[in-house]
Amino acid sequence: MRADRVTPGSQTSLREANRARIVSAVQQRGSLTQIELAGVTGLSPATISNIVKELTVAGVLHTAQSTRNGRRALQVTLARNLGLVAGIRFGMRSLSVALADASMRILAEQRMPLAPDHRADAGLQRTAMLVREMMEAVDADPSELLAVGVGVPAPVDIRTGQVVTVGMMRGWDGVHVDEILGAELDVPVTADNDSTLAAIAEARFGAGAGHDSVAYVRVSHGVGGGLVLGGRAVHGRSGVAGEIGHVSVDEHGPVCRCGNRGCLEMLVGASSLLSMLPPEAGHLTLADLVTRAREGDAGCRRVVFDAGRHLGVALANLCNLVDPDVVVIGGKLAEAGELLLEPLRTSLGQRVVATSRGPVEVVPSTLGADAGVRGALAAALDQARMFGSLGVTS
Amino acid sequence: MSGPVLSLRGVSKRFGGVRALVDVDADVHEHEVLAVVGDNGAGKSTLAGVLAGAHRPDAGQVLLDGRPVLLDSPAVARSLGIAAVFQELALVDDLDVVENVFLGHETVRGPLLDEVAMEREAWRLLDQLAASVPEVREPVRTLSGGQRQVVAVARALLGSPRVVVLDEPTASLGVRQTAEVLNLIVRLRERGHAVVLVSHQAGDLQAVADRILVLRLGRVHDVFDGDASYEDLLAAMTGAVRPGAPHRRGQR
Repeated sequence: MRADRVTPGSQTSLREANRARIVSAVQQRGSLTQIELAGVTGLSPATISNIVKELTVAGVLHTAQSTRNGRRALQVTLARNLGLVAGIRFGMRSLSVALADASMRILAEQRMPLAPDHRADAGLQRTAMLVREMMEAVDADPSELLAVGVGVPAPVDIRTGQVVTVGMMRGWDGVHVDEILGAELDVPVTADNDSTLAAIAEARFGAGAGHDSVAYVRVSHGVGGGLVLGGRAVHGRSGVAGEIGHVSVDEHGPVCRCGNRGCLEMLVGASSLLSMLPPEAGHLTLADLVTRAREGDAGCRRVVFDAGRHLGVALANLCNLVDPDVVVIGGKLAEAGELLLEPLRTSLGQRVVATSRGPVEVVPSTLGADAGVRGALAAALDQARMFGSLGVTS
Repeated sequence: MSGPVLSLRGVSKRFGGVRALVDVDADVHEHEVLAVVGDNGAGKSTLAGVLAGAHRPDAGQVLLDGRPVLLDSPAVARSLGIAAVFQELALVDDLDVVENVFLGHETVRGPLLDEVAMEREAWRLLDQLAASVPEVREPVRTLSGGQRQVVAVARALLGSPRVVVLDEPTASLGVRQTAEVLNLIVRLRERGHAVVLVSHQAGDLQAVADRILVLRLGRVHDVFDGDASYEDLLAAMTGAVRPGAPHRRGQR
C-alpha cells in the first residue's frame, strides 16, 4: 500500500493535520484497519488510536471489530450518516448513476441506455431529476446530498469542469458540466473524463489496488484511457492525458471524429468492429458481438482478436512512455475476456522494451461496467472532504 | 438474418373520413427493436393496434412467419404470441395487482385458482421489470401512474410472447421508471423477442432501437437505422424531407 508520508505540519496545526490525514486515508480507501492506517499515514499506532477514538466520538469515523491474519483488528470506515454522494457516468450510449453513503456503501444504482447522439442540456437535466428520484426512493432528504461526481467520455478540464473538445462529441463540446448540474442540484459538482475516473476506481478499489501506477483503457463504443501515476490521476494541461483512443495507429487510416487519421478508436471502436461483420448478420450491437464471440462464432472471434492486437500496439507505446505497474482493460469489449487479452498481451509483449522484470501485467477490470461510476463516487467524496463536509478541514 | 416474425403488407385503415394508415409495409424480426415514431395523428397507435389485433385493416395483410393471419381480436393475437400494452392500460381499478396481471389467464389447480403460484409469478415478472410496486395484493387504484404502467407491462409478458408491442410505454413515467422500461426493452431484445416500440419521444426510441420507422400522415415516410441522427428523424417526422429521400447513413 502506498504511503502518504508528507512532513508533518507545525506544532499548532499538527493535530488538525493528523486528523485530516487520517480522514483522507480512510475516505480514499473506503475501509482500513488501524494497523494499515499507521502504515499509510506514517503516524504512530498510539496517535492513530487516539485520533480514531476522538473522531468516532465526534461522529466522523465508524469502527468495527474484525480479524486480520488471525489477529483482532479495528476496521475503520467513515460514519455512514455523514451524508450521501452521487456518482454519474455518461457513456457514448449509456448512463449510470449511483448513490452511496460516506463509507462508499452503494444505496441505489440506476442505468439506462442513451441515444447515439445524446445532448448535454437535456441529458444533465434528466440526470438531475434521476438523482432526486433516487434520493426519494432511499428516503433521503435532498439536504443529505454532499457532492456529485460526473464522468463524461471526452476530455474535461477539471479546474473549470468544461468539456474541452471541439467538434468531437456533438452536443457536449464546450459544455460546463459542473455548472449546469451544480445549478440543478445545488451541491458541489466535480466533472472529469470517465476513463480517468475509472482509472482512479480501479487503482483504489479494483484490479489496480495496491499498485502505484495504473494505466486503464476502456474499449467500448469509443476508446478511452486514464492514468494514475504515483497514486495520483494525471490530467495534463487541458484534460487530454490518457486519451489513448486517439493515438495514431495507421497514418493512412480513416478520418476520426477527432479530426486525425487512423486513430486507435477507428480500428477498435464499436462502429468499426461492427462494420467488419457481414450485412447478413443484421443489426448487431457491441454486446451481441461479444456474446457471439464467446459462443464461438468464428467471424466475431476474429474481429475481437484483431482488436486485441491493435490495442497491444497502442498500449506498448504507452507502456514505453510511462511504464505502469499494471494495465487494466475495461469496457464492453473486455467482457470477451481472454479472446481479447491474449492477442493483446502478445502484441504488447513484442513491442515493449524488454526488461529483467518481464512484461507488464495486463489484467481485466474487476469493477467492470461500474468502474466509471465508482470513480465518480470517489471523486464526489474527495470533493465533499475538500468542502469540509466530512468533519475535518483539509 | 432469418425472415421477419411479423409483417404488414399494404395495410390501410380508415376511421370514418380519416385515413389513419395508408398502404403501410412494415417488418419486425426476432432479436430486434422496431421503433415507430411520428407526430400526433401520424397513425402510430393505429399501427400498434393493427399489429396487436385491436384494429382490423380495411386493406392489406398481416403476416406471421410469412403466412397471412387474421388478427380478429387482441385475444387471437395473444394466442399467436403477440402481446401489447396500450396507452390506456386497461387495468381494472378494483382488482389487485395479481388479479390484473392474470385477468383472463388465471392459473388453476383443480377447480380452484392457484393464488400462490400466481402471486409468485407476478412477483417474478415485476422483479424482471425492477418494479417499485410495494404490494401485489393492493387494488391497482392505489398505485401511481408509473406503477400502473409496470403492472400493464408485466401482464403483457405473461406467457413469454414472441412479439411485444408497446404503445407509448414511457409517456407517464418518471426518469427512474423510464430507465427501467428502456432496460426492459433491451433485455427483451437480448432474449430474442421482437419488440415494436411506439413513441413520440425520439430520444428514448433512439436509445434502444435497431430500426426506426417514421410515420407521417398515415404513410411510412422512411425507415432509418437505429443510429440515425436526431435531425434526420425530426426532418422526416415533420415532413421537411420527401418520403424516401436519400439520407446520409451514419457510420455503421
